[in-house]
Amino acid sequence: MRAMTTAASGMQAQTLNVDVIANNIANLRTTAFKRQRTEFQDLLYEHLRRIGTQTTDQGNILPVGVDIGSGVKVVGTPRIMTQGVLLQTGNELDVAVRGEGFFKIAMPDGTFSYTRDGSFQLDANGRIVTAQGLVVQPGITVPNNSTSLTINPQGQVSVIIPPATTPTLLGQFVLTRFINKSGLLPIGDNLFQESPASGPPQDGLPDNNGFGNLQQGNLEQSNVDAVTEITELIAAQRAYEMNSKVISAADQMEQTAIGLFR
Amino acid sequence: VENTLLVGLSRQIVLERSMDVVANNLANMNTTGYKSENPLFEDYLRTRGRENRFNVPDRPVEFVLDRGTWHDFTQGALKPTGAPLDIGIKGDGFLVVQTPNGERYTRNGSLQINNQGQLVTSQGYPVLSDGGPIVFQDTDHDISISSRGRVAAIAGISPNNAETLRGTLRLVRFDSPQLLQKEGENLYSVQDGAAPAPVPDTDMQFQQGYVEGSNVNSVLEMTRMLQISRAYTAVANVLQQQSDLHKNAIQQLANVPA
Repeated sequence: MRAMTTAASGMQAQTLNVDVIANNIANLRTTAFKRQRTEFQDLLYEHLRRIGTQTTDQGNILPVGVDIGSGVKVVGTPRIMTQGVLLQTGNELDVAVRGEGFFKIAMPDGTFSYTRDGSFQLDANGRIVTAQGLVVQPGITVPNNSTSLTINPQGQVSVIIPPATTPTLLGQFVLTRFINKSGLLPIGDNLFQESPASGPPQDGLPDNNGFGNLQQGNLEQSNVDAVTEITELIAAQRAYEMNSKVISAADQMEQTAIGLFR
Repeated sequence: VENTLLVGLSRQIVLERSMDVVANNLANMNTTGYKSENPLFEDYLRTRGRENRFNVPDRPVEFVLDRGTWHDFTQGALKPTGAPLDIGIKGDGFLVVQTPNGERYTRNGSLQINNQGQLVTSQGYPVLSDGGPIVFQDTDHDISISSRGRVAAIAGISPNNAETLRGTLRLVRFDSPQLLQKEGENLYSVQDGAAPAPVPDTDMQFQQGYVEGSNVNSVLEMTRMLQISRAYTAVANVLQQQSDLHKNAIQQLANVPA
């Protein structure tokens, strides 16, 4: 019976859906994590009686056909790139982007990746790096005797180098935006890479030409909403159960058919 | 002629197909823009015997036939996703999609952008506007889609964040949407000569940041499933009784007293 494989495809799809929800919930407290959604599509139909075929010589046509579908598939897990809530940390190297734009990170292999996670650190050479030690573009080096590091909304990093009492400008962060940021390729560690779907990167300066501004001493929280995820989880679980019921009902029907032999 | 067996068989085949339809509806409970299917039955009158010299004339026998599956086009719930390229359609219109086999129609508004900057479905088929596919420039950002389907974006560095129009989505409706045929991948096609050409939908309403959920009513499908399952058992019982009847008849008739 086709109903069995159809329901099995439904169960498979819901399993994947639960995987995605589980990953969202697991990253409930990950800085700048963006939640994913599972996108489903129906599978091919078998047209047992095709709509529009002629039924008489007078040109009458079938107004409805017999279309039997064969289940469901997962086509994608698009990422929802909405702004997360900003959490004040007080750490002078924590920076959150409010609005459009990603920080540009230099990878060891010479390529660039992009992140919204602004929990930066200083490395042994005084360079501003991510938690993994990757250099944040354009590569700002903080002298080791400097004090009171400030990052303004435009991304300008300045420090006071004693004995001077006026701030010295060290550099300015760049932000990058994409036409389709949902199309970015996630590579883990809160990093994304450019993909054919995301479009080419467009660099710019914060608080300028539609780019977001930077908030020092803040971190962007994940945009996962626990209530939404739990509701989705319940819906997925119920859908899974219903599909399993279809399998047992189809099984019962087959048993009945077999029971006809005595 | 074993009429009971054959009539029962016709009913069982139809019940199995209905089960397939219910299974497909339940499998697509969370499919974006999915419209549920409902089986339709009709009776089929077997032609009577031509011999009419009997005292009691040959009586007609009715079989069950599944005539079709009709699409339930009621609106699905609009679910917020927050993604700028997700659009929920309110009303009975369809988006027009360019596929290798020609134009297809969909209610699935979960859209993406491909490497040529075209607005595409999750399957990669371009969504058509009044003037072909909608193409974004590499420097476009902040895409907005109005309730009338006007797709605009801010092009690179523009004073006052002025928007540039990138096209108006084509939304069509059908006088008889039942004639649409499901193709899978949330697409519908028009069969040649079956349906009148699609007409532009003028009271379209898009909602950006939403997708239309499936309109499958799970409670209804579960009860339908139970019904089918029970009906199947009932028919099987009838067939069983008929078979017992025959067995008894053969045994008793053959039991010739010595």
